[in-house]
Amino acid sequence: MTKISPATPAPVLQLEHVSRHRAGRVAVQDLSLALPRGQVLGLLGVNGAGKSTTLSMIAGALRPDRGSIKLNGEDFLEQPELARAWIGWLPERAPLWPELTVSEHLDAHGRLRGLRGAALREARTNIIERLELQPLARRLAGVLSQGQRQRLGLACALLHQPAVLVLDEPANALDPVQVAALRKIIREQADAGTAVILSTHLLAEVTAVCHRVAILHDGTLHHDGAVLAGDHAALERTFFEIAMNPRPAHAA
Amino acid sequence: MSTLVVARLEWRRQLVRPLAWVLAALTLAWLGWNFTLLLGSFLAGQIQRAALPDGPGFTDLVGVPLLGQLAQLAFLVVPLLTMSVIAGDRRNGTLPSLFAAGVPASRIVLGKYLAILGWLLLWLLLTLAMPLTLAHATHLDWGKLAAATLGLVLMLAALAALGVACSSFASHPAIAAAAALILALALWSVNLGAQMAGVNGGAINWLAMSTHVQPLLRGLVSSADVLWFVLLIALSLVLATRRLATDKERG
Repeated sequence: MTKISPATPAPVLQLEHVSRHRAGRVAVQDLSLALPRGQVLGLLGVNGAGKSTTLSMIAGALRPDRGSIKLNGEDFLEQPELARAWIGWLPERAPLWPELTVSEHLDAHGRLRGLRGAALREARTNIIERLELQPLARRLAGVLSQGQRQRLGLACALLHQPAVLVLDEPANALDPVQVAALRKIIREQADAGTAVILSTHLLAEVTAVCHRVAILHDGTLHHDGAVLAGDHAALERTFFEIAMNPRPAHAA
Repeated sequence: MSTLVVARLEWRRQLVRPLAWVLAALTLAWLGWNFTLLLGSFLAGQIQRAALPDGPGFTDLVGVPLLGQLAQLAFLVVPLLTMSVIAGDRRNGTLPSLFAAGVPASRIVLGKYLAILGWLLLWLLLTLAMPLTLAHATHLDWGKLAAATLGLVLMLAALAALGVACSSFASHPAIAAAAALILALALWSVNLGAQMAGVNGGAINWLAMSTHVQPLLRGLVSSADVLWFVLLIALSLVLATRRLATDKERG
């Protein structure tokens, strides 16, 4: 469980000039972002824009070639174990061990994130209840539907109450009811002080839950600005302008 | 601590896989049948051997041959058990979850290795229980049995390390199993040509696993043989760790 001092002035997550090559090409280039507590940042971009690479680096699964990533002011590239307690990550395809049940997954993820004994049991019970996973608790992950897998992945990401929640296309394979539930959870997390980064292809997702939007193209940040509530058309215009006719980065 | 968390996770995965249970059931049934045959043969020749002052006993004729059979089965069982430990995680996309939890590659490898080793030691213990059940009714050569058991422990540990290394390099579990089987067989019989030519020393014989297992099965414990296994285990685990660390670097 992460405890953050309310007096902390620095953003909870800060990327400074982060770059990364993947498969012989530039995946992310000179990316700088800062995210305060309680803010939801939507990360947009066409396929191959560098969203998943960015999120993998923030989650601690991938090292940047250059630049630094700071969690509450501490460089977590020098202390990779910081990611254990501070970050919750749901990758694009929920990573599950097909041989384990839903309940065993939560136990395994809890232990990997440093939870033990009563704290682990309490966290597991709470998240099962919150994400309505009771009917699935004893089911093997290998037989879950795609939507159920996503819910379990989200439960694993939220289990240890991280300070930064990293979601890579979390609405994939969810039905409209589940999408609404997901939005509610994201808002609740933000209200509780969690910084959330949400990568998505759905512009409506961004206008519905995000305070801010960042648009990546060819690994470069092309837009970083506030989301005007309900102004879907403005966001769509900006997105297509960048996707169809990319120009050097600017902040709104 | 994270090593134990990974070991526990891997152990749990092994326990629910049908493959581990099927392998355990089939091999133990096979070993049980062979134990019965060895015991029958031992009992049938008991009167003739009574005339020999220093004739082979229960340990030489039943205990050690049974462990020898387990050693043969290990060449097939260990690659099948280890094939998915890392290659399976790579296919499931679960390796990044471990990296993201701040678990270093060395601890992931060690944790998975310990889980496999635990299963293999249990397998050895159940096999060993067969001759041990007759300990009260016959004369066991405890020293020889302990040396043979040590040989089997070292051999299983080395094969497991080799299997984990192959799994770390392979993209598919089946490839990992095939590679581990071929490497283990090659390592066992690399000196076959030299042996046939009557050469009993040199680097080629030192390289062969058989050179280091057979003295232990005969009851001869040598630190040089133990060191050979320790080196093979360390080399395999270091290679697996380096491969996994490269996975994290490449993404």
